[in-house]
Amino acid sequence: MAVKHFEAEVRREPGGAVLDLRGEINGFAQETLDAAYAEAEKENSGAILLNFEEVDYINSTGIALIVGLLARARAAKRDLSAYGLSEHYVEIFNITRLSDFMGVFPDEESALDRAVAG
Amino acid sequence: MSVSRNESHRMLAELSVPSAPGNERRAMEEVAGTVESLGLPDRTLERLKTAVAEATMNAMEHGNRYREEAPVFIEVSATDAELSVKITDEGTGPAAFDPQTPDLEAKLDGAQTPRGWGLFLIKSMVDEMNVTGDERHHTVELILHLNGRKEASDGRKAL
Repeated sequence: MAVKHFEAEVRREPGGAVLDLRGEINGFAQETLDAAYAEAEKENSGAILLNFEEVDYINSTGIALIVGLLARARAAKRDLSAYGLSEHYVEIFNITRLSDFMGVFPDEESALDRAVAG
Repeated sequence: MSVSRNESHRMLAELSVPSAPGNERRAMEEVAGTVESLGLPDRTLERLKTAVAEATMNAMEHGNRYREEAPVFIEVSATDAELSVKITDEGTGPAAFDPQTPDLEAKLDGAQTPRGWGLFLIKSMVDEMNVTGDERHHTVELILHLNGRKEASDGRKAL
């Protein structure tokens, strides 16, 4: 089976930046994810939102990559949130306690509302 | 719930995947297809898929060191009471899992590596996990108790 491509694009929105993630978040995603996160940090003092609506697979290495982004956000005292996770990955964010340290929202509207409210 | 392990298992599938990065998804999808007839609830199936993927990835990476000529073997079998998925690699000695329980706060503070979630995810996703090994193989067995799942899917008992 071919390893699916991973893509990440940055969008500027009121309250912060959105990373639109697509494909599989595994070890192959690291370079692209880190570069997109660095782009989202530029000229942005607000929140960073991870959009998982088009992510269909996250493995344990992918969880580690998200932990790394969360550590960067915390070091910079920046809010990092997630939205668009499937029910299964919401459960994984709960049992790993990622959801204790980052907002997990059902959709972009609710995530952006929280980011704008600060 | 106590489940008798004496009942003989009926084999549902014997699969193998080459040890190459990304092939854990192939294993996951093939096992999901194999157990389709059992009618597992969606949530249970997703949990099984994650456990199979993580155990297969561990077998490919640590057991077979991503040597494509060393396949990971997967046996799927069931009784009326339980579903068993055995994942076997060609590693020697104890199966290599990070023994440290992941602590997210420690990881965020840099006191633990960000990695090391595989075993934790597997244990969280299935009812039982057994690890066995000898001089030539490691086997990780994942077990789901089926009776409780049927009750849950009928809405009579929440697990």
